[in-house]
Amino acid sequence: MTKKKLVIALAGNANVGKSVIFNHLTGLHQHIGNWPGKTVERAEGTLHFKGYTIDIIDLPGIYSLSTYSLEELVSRKYIAVERPDMVINVVDASVLERNLFFTLQLMELETPIIVALNQMDIAKKKGLEIDTEKLENLLGIPVMPTVAIKGIGIFQLLEKAVEVIEKGQMAKSVKVKYGEEVEERIAKVTRMVDRIQFWYPPRYVAIKLLEGDEEIAREVRKIDPQIVAAAKELADEIENLHGHSCPTVITSERYEVAGCIAREAQKLVPPKKPPIEEKLHTLTTHKIIGYPVMIFSLLLMFYSIFTFGGYSSELLSNFFHGWEPLFASSFGTGIVGKLVWGGIIEGVIAGVTIALPYILPFYVVLYLLEDSGYLSRIAFLMDNAMHKIGLHGKAFIPLMLGYGCNVPACLGCRIMETERERLLAAFVTTLVPCAARTVIILGLVGAFMGIQWALMLYVIDLMVIFALGRLAFKTLPGEPTALIMEMHDYRMPHLKTVLKQTWFRLAEFIKIAFPLIIVGSLAIKLAEVLGLLEPIASVLSPVTVMWLGLPAITGITLIFGVLRKELTLIMLATLLGTTNFAQVLTPVQMIVFTLVAMFYIPCIATIAALVREFGWKKALSITVFEIVFAIIVGGVALRVLTLTA
Amino acid sequence: MENRSPKTLEVPLTALKDGETAILTSIKAGHGRGQGRGWGFEKRLMDMGLTPGTKVTVVKSAPFHGPLEILVRGSRLALGRGMAERIFVEREKK
Repeated sequence: MTKKKLVIALAGNANVGKSVIFNHLTGLHQHIGNWPGKTVERAEGTLHFKGYTIDIIDLPGIYSLSTYSLEELVSRKYIAVERPDMVINVVDASVLERNLFFTLQLMELETPIIVALNQMDIAKKKGLEIDTEKLENLLGIPVMPTVAIKGIGIFQLLEKAVEVIEKGQMAKSVKVKYGEEVEERIAKVTRMVDRIQFWYPPRYVAIKLLEGDEEIAREVRKIDPQIVAAAKELADEIENLHGHSCPTVITSERYEVAGCIAREAQKLVPPKKPPIEEKLHTLTTHKIIGYPVMIFSLLLMFYSIFTFGGYSSELLSNFFHGWEPLFASSFGTGIVGKLVWGGIIEGVIAGVTIALPYILPFYVVLYLLEDSGYLSRIAFLMDNAMHKIGLHGKAFIPLMLGYGCNVPACLGCRIMETERERLLAAFVTTLVPCAARTVIILGLVGAFMGIQWALMLYVIDLMVIFALGRLAFKTLPGEPTALIMEMHDYRMPHLKTVLKQTWFRLAEFIKIAFPLIIVGSLAIKLAEVLGLLEPIASVLSPVTVMWLGLPAITGITLIFGVLRKELTLIMLATLLGTTNFAQVLTPVQMIVFTLVAMFYIPCIATIAALVREFGWKKALSITVFEIVFAIIVGGVALRVLTLTA
Repeated sequence: MENRSPKTLEVPLTALKDGETAILTSIKAGHGRGQGRGWGFEKRLMDMGLTPGTKVTVVKSAPFHGPLEILVRGSRLALGRGMAERIFVEREKK
């Protein structure tokens, strides 16, 4: 028997349990990458079933197939152009109407489709009973009930998908019928589109042209501009008839169809008392109580991550450095030995002692918060504050992560909808003092000048974030941002999915950051071995000594800080031969040095993350900007402080 | 709409009190009609179920002029205040 290949795509709204189903289907045979040329994640996996090798593609979670976001565009193109053998539309049974709105759009794409009616348990808790058979008849496509989090119905779902593919002919799905005035005009445009060659079905193209879909209009215009013009005229007619713009009319009518189907298929039996999830929601979004609850949760999260991180980081570091004498005795302490240990192996150690102790727990906690639904409540509470820097509530999450480590924070900026919001959020995030910078602030200014000065630096940092965030927001072109976010009901996170997501993210981090960390540490070690550090320090002295008023030696430590920021302080102690910094630095120098160290460059792993998300050009721009900015801030601070002293 | 009171007025969503329900009449995204600036928002709002004629319930708003929590078509949404100000509704008669 020859093994046949099938491709099945998973599509649906965000937070409907799509990734849980994906994980059930594919286990660890997954590959997560990006769609070619896009910063949209593409998750792919394979499984074997009944003699078939099945590729599963997990499309991004979206609410529509218009072109509001990259995710929507990517998904639509994929379904229309690559034509998977089957689309499994994962539907949240507890929010049936809005989910069916998306189902109807998939049906309009005339792709083979079955519905996985998921989260049946949550729907039941809300008092919603859904007649699966009735829904199946109303839609004209197979509907399979599932509770993905418990693995219920997954096998049957897959079985059904394969069965439908094997049968060859699709059950005739019900056509989405619009109002008479609209249908008439859809028919007119469809007849015109029928004459040209196009990868979307003619009726779909007609509807989208009337809806004013820019991408499809652009493509059709290349073939026959008259069709687009005619559609525009017909759309204006609809607008005159209804008093609303044509896209509004079509979207409304589509929603009406979804609403009718939902109302027919579901029965509402309100539960006697509000479920615990509802009470939790009220508490965590409460005008007053919501904030202390949030602050407490976040503090608890940071405290546990840093406690775990600090402890295991030291353990790992000691473990690795325990091998150093053995290494030295077998490779010698010559140039090669120094380069291999000090460059390559130290680089790996640096990476491992960041990745495992800090980034791993960060991701676990982040995904737990996200899956459970608490993250969206935090975004709700913080939306107003984030608007002050031109971002919306969701940006608070990466910003908050930045206090731990900038790398996951930058990668976390993906939760923002548009490319512009992502870039803005990532830029602001790199200014947040991470754990390493906290070491410098507390270890230098805090320890030798008093905690009030350290706190002042944090306040200055917040002011800088605010000012630069606003500035970047004003300079970058594009629409202002606004929050439109679903707050899905609280639920237990699916631990296995959380752990898998964490694992793939961690692997991603290692792939991005390790090469740069190793190359960076090798380059610096090489410069040290070749005795280039002193000359470099003197080359930098116009800036470090004359402009910033620091000892020339700080030029070297700032170079090391590119690898890991806390190295600026550790190297300072090594090179100055003392940890009593008060003997070698004046208070003003301490402040200037800390300010520069806070801002002067994102560390090399963060730069790698920026490159990954935004490309070399934008990553370099941010890096260069921050170097210049830090030097200016340091110099100005020196002059202001000497004047006032 | 049979018993529409002559006094019903279009008000922005932000004018509703906590717990009040109203019918959405229009979204004023500004900048002319149809496409162009602001169009992305209008489309996005409609995709989330905020189409004319839909019932919208304001559950509460976050303090300090924060976003609104609304219920629409059985789903719970958080909506930035700036956007909520551009969504117009008609109060239902008691």
